[in-house]
Amino acid sequence: MRDGVEAESRSEVAVSGLSRREFVRLGTVGAAAVPFVLEAGTRAAAPTAQVVEDRIRQNVGVEWNPATIDTFKAGDPSAVVTGIVTTSLATIDVMRRAIRAGANLIITSGPTFYSRADTSTLTGRRGAPPAPPDPVLTAKHDFIVENRLIVWRFSDHWRARTPDPFAEGVVNALGWAKYRSNGDPRRITVPAITIEALARNVKAELNARGGVRVVGKPMARVQRIAVLPGTIPIQTTLAVLADVDVLIAGEIREWESSEYVRDLVHAGRNKALILLGRSLSEEPGMNGCAVWLKEIVSEAPVRWIPAGDPYWRPTI
Amino acid sequence: MTAGDVVDRIKKNIGVAWRDTTYRDTYKSGGPETPVTGIATTMFNSFDVVERSVAAGLNMILPHETTFWNDRDDVTVVNADALYREKRDYLAAHNVVIFRMHDHLHDQRPDFTYAGSARELGLDPAREIPPGSHRFTIPETTLEALAADVQRRAGIRALRVVGDPKARVSRIQLGVGYATPAANAPDVDVVISGEQQEVDGVLDAPEYVTDAAALRLRRGWIMLGHNVSEEAGMLELAHWIGSLVPEVPVRLIKSGEPFWSPE
Repeated sequence: MRDGVEAESRSEVAVSGLSRREFVRLGTVGAAAVPFVLEAGTRAAAPTAQVVEDRIRQNVGVEWNPATIDTFKAGDPSAVVTGIVTTSLATIDVMRRAIRAGANLIITSGPTFYSRADTSTLTGRRGAPPAPPDPVLTAKHDFIVENRLIVWRFSDHWRARTPDPFAEGVVNALGWAKYRSNGDPRRITVPAITIEALARNVKAELNARGGVRVVGKPMARVQRIAVLPGTIPIQTTLAVLADVDVLIAGEIREWESSEYVRDLVHAGRNKALILLGRSLSEEPGMNGCAVWLKEIVSEAPVRWIPAGDPYWRPTI
Repeated sequence: MTAGDVVDRIKKNIGVAWRDTTYRDTYKSGGPETPVTGIATTMFNSFDVVERSVAAGLNMILPHETTFWNDRDDVTVVNADALYREKRDYLAAHNVVIFRMHDHLHDQRPDFTYAGSARELGLDPAREIPPGSHRFTIPETTLEALAADVQRRAGIRALRVVGDPKARVSRIQLGVGYATPAANAPDVDVVISGEQQEVDGVLDAPEYVTDAAALRLRRGWIMLGHNVSEEAGMLELAHWIGSLVPEVPVRLIKSGEPFWSPE
């Protein structure tokens, strides 16, 4: 079945945001990190969130698409920025860590409210009555409001840059910058390595838990690697695997690329597919985003806070 | 016995009106005139499954999923690919006929994909309330213990779980394939299913369940992978087809989980 799943919910649990006591406690736990507010004393007057967005639009080097999802998702764009956090996924945990660090602007490559529409109330199918409030979504929205956070999504335009910042992020995280041949981080040739060793390295360097999945023979030796974070269709996989040994991707559909690679391997081709998960695949690219933002927003501190691998595996 | 005879018996006995508009439940190789020596059921019609079916003397394959790596098995997507031509030529050379059983398999009652998964995971139909809801109440356990049990029973190498391992759970919603149920149903603790788009969908479960765990709500999400989540029911399909076509051998040939996970 391919039917989309209708978002439905009912308010049954009232969850408040962080209590004052919890906030203070978290603050002490996070003492190892230098609070942004201490650094900020030496800086020029901080810009508003809207000014940060304007600077991004002016500097990103990609024509701005008016229909983009790169917009404010919550909070007041006219608020002054105390610090900026970049992440692949603005989870409640990332937001708590951002607050602890004194930042109020979260820049995320993924949605905040669990859908592409990214609205703070769930929308049912077209024509269906509005869904009742969802406890998690409501709590997250309240948490953002109570803590005066601002959330802005940066996905379409960040990924449209050249070279691909998400591929560059993964390549840098894996220590492969030195293997970039023609400048394109999406194509890397490494010294021969087995699929098993490669997959282990990828898992370790990206701090993955259970999200990395592989199709291929563990002992096959490979060199030519394509790095394509995000989600890719079968057409991309067909094209890319024609001239590389391994495709490292974020996400595929399981009736497409993983079956194609399974068949390739069965037919004796020296090929493999390593899946990272969409969010994990975009995490290092948001680290690069923090580095880039520092160049255009000098008045406020900028830091990357990874959401981490959402998946784990039982140990049996 | 021709493939057309087999398909006619399926259509007559499946218990739901056949929808000729389906692009899935059609011939992908061979046709109704092909003589049938034996029948294999499978999940994904991998090259390996095709070869093992041929070796077992089963030249008709009823896969639940795709043969040519796209939902429509649209060969214009793949016809420039050398592996596509290899697989197509192998099918022709061995007189293999393929008829996909997807939409009508889900329409049929019971839907074998759910019945097979419940059997494999040890979910007792007597605890499915209401009947046909795919909701099961089990004795309370932790998400970690439940996931470990699922992993053991289904023999999964690349199981993926989201949520607090220590969360106490008892209400399970079973899904299959890409029909993964919403992660926020109010009277469900854990969704066990196959596959779902991770980000930018209607309700992105990994982020939702991660946030629910941060709020200390009991939520879990266990992804078996598409193949594992529906393959068990291909045994039920083989038994049913066997009862319709006693003239030839009918057997499940498993495609198996395609993934493994690094240590």
